[in-house]
Amino acid sequence: MLNQLCVLPHNMPSFDKTQHKPFKQRKSFATRKQEVAGIRSKFPNKIPVIIERYEREKYLPPLDKTKFLVPHELTVTQFVTIIRNRMALLPTQAFYLLVDRSGLASMSLTMAQVYKDHQDEDGFLYMTYASQEMFGH
Amino acid sequence: MNSISPSAAQYIGGVMQDELVESRRQQPMERQSSFGLRLPQVPDSSREAPGEPDEMDKLKAKLMSAWNNVKYGWTVKSKTSFNKISPVTVMGHSFLLNSEDEVERFRLAFVSRIWLTYRREFPQLEGSTWTTDCGWGCMLRSGQMLLAQGLLVHLLPKDWVWPDAQQLTDVDFELFRPRSPVRAGGVPIPSFGSPRGSNTPEKSLPSDQVPKSSPRKRPECVRDRQAEPIHCKLLTWFGDHPLAPFGVHQLVEIGKSSGKKAGDWYGPSIVAHILRKAVAKSSVIQNLAVYVAQDCTVYKKDVVRLCDESLSNASSDLSSQIWKSVIILVPVRLGGEALNPSYIECVKNILKLECCIGIIGGKPKHSLFFIGFQDEQLLYLDPHYCQPVVDVTQVNFSLESFHCSSPKKMPFSRMDPSCTIGFYAKNKKDFESLCSAVSVALSSSKEKYPIFTFVEGQGQDYRLEGHGSNHSGSAAHILPPGKLGKSNDRRNSDEFVFL
Repeated sequence: MLNQLCVLPHNMPSFDKTQHKPFKQRKSFATRKQEVAGIRSKFPNKIPVIIERYEREKYLPPLDKTKFLVPHELTVTQFVTIIRNRMALLPTQAFYLLVDRSGLASMSLTMAQVYKDHQDEDGFLYMTYASQEMFGH
Repeated sequence: MNSISPSAAQYIGGVMQDELVESRRQQPMERQSSFGLRLPQVPDSSREAPGEPDEMDKLKAKLMSAWNNVKYGWTVKSKTSFNKISPVTVMGHSFLLNSEDEVERFRLAFVSRIWLTYRREFPQLEGSTWTTDCGWGCMLRSGQMLLAQGLLVHLLPKDWVWPDAQQLTDVDFELFRPRSPVRAGGVPIPSFGSPRGSNTPEKSLPSDQVPKSSPRKRPECVRDRQAEPIHCKLLTWFGDHPLAPFGVHQLVEIGKSSGKKAGDWYGPSIVAHILRKAVAKSSVIQNLAVYVAQDCTVYKKDVVRLCDESLSNASSDLSSQIWKSVIILVPVRLGGEALNPSYIECVKNILKLECCIGIIGGKPKHSLFFIGFQDEQLLYLDPHYCQPVVDVTQVNFSLESFHCSSPKKMPFSRMDPSCTIGFYAKNKKDFESLCSAVSVALSSSKEKYPIFTFVEGQGQDYRLEGHGSNHSGSAAHILPPGKLGKSNDRRNSDEFVFL
């Protein structure tokens, strides 16, 4: 599992200017469901996860990818570490993974547990990442 | 008694608003020591008229002061109502306000908290032209209040109260209200000026309703009076001058390594790390450490490593019981756009704990220091009150502006999801009971998963080896907003990443 990480591109690919719509709005329910069925049949030991940036996020960079296939036994802590590293964040930089856009994902759980509790009807697990807001007024 | 070098005494400032004009006369002295131009950041600092201040100046200063307070959030003040049915919680203590005794205890508990607000006319912040933090420094002030609360618990006797605590102002207690089923709340009395208002009796409760701070002596009175020098010393550490270890100057300086500068807005997580560094750097507090949780996890072994001095001083023969006290800060995000209501019960239960030293957060964009709650409303201390600087290097400087006499509440529903929760443990035993008490409070969340967790081991065991330090180094702590908002190539992003 860890070795596979090495083949991930460390450089972010070039970005185009437009912020694209959330995954759910880009694809119909039927397409998404089909996509999950396809990938699950090929990789039954992996969980399909959609990770997207909170739409009002101002400090964390966008991720180059939104779709992840994650091993069941991977913990949320490990998953967060992978995402943090992809973004080259410092350990002190605030980074939160929200499940269903509002609840914090508990770090000690495995991805399989989170998937069991929170998978969408289409079969994906949706997660949003965000840092913290700033205050000044 | 001050830990601050006397050379800092040249920095001056008015203590009370009425002394504002007097303090202006001394400003040229302050300016000698600073370099560059002072930009008029607040309306009143542009007033440079030399000569003797007259009544007109005094009036102007008062109006400016009122304007600043309106501008920065202290709008027309209304009374805060407290019912007598539900207990009000302040820093882990609950008070049922159905008797004068309880109201009195609530007053002492509230007013004894340290209140740090915007200040103006302090020595210029290095590398900037700022001489005030009005309009940007509220999160730093909230952070200071949290640290100050931690230091109060650390240094002062248990349940210490300030013997000179003012009477409460702008409050309405159901207990003292005449029986009238129709009128639900007190009529708000618009008032400008000092919220401290100990000298403005018209804002206080009618004298027959005021809970008298009767000479009914608390047994701790003598003890608390004797602790006054510590209280004063603690306040000097938060002074608005470059040498104060936890002053705004020092905090801004430390924040520079996180990509922040004077005038920027700060977040509750960044401030947590700034406080950690400030305490580690200071020489005034030796036996206290600050731990900041990462990714909503408190790794107990990391806390032990921080606190157990016998581990670090292997050569020391006093290996038995050297344990630093610890402030544990947990930055969290309790929802996306708004606070996830499932967490409210849990936040309440945390605020009920004696080991909790408050929460720095706020309403969106507007930082507040949460110290308790009643029913569905949070009780807070508000830094958005622009006061003239107090020269804490003076012997017998006035403590009054460092304590707040008007409690404020706001609904939980308006709480911004970004915040940092603070805890304090004096010793190892305290830390163990903190872990179990907080874990119980955390399990009260209606959300499936807790806000944060305690884990036995150390952080590095749980992350992925070999990737913890895999930072490119080129990444700025905070990315400039201009680089964000871009997206990636749609074709590439549609492929799965295999982990």
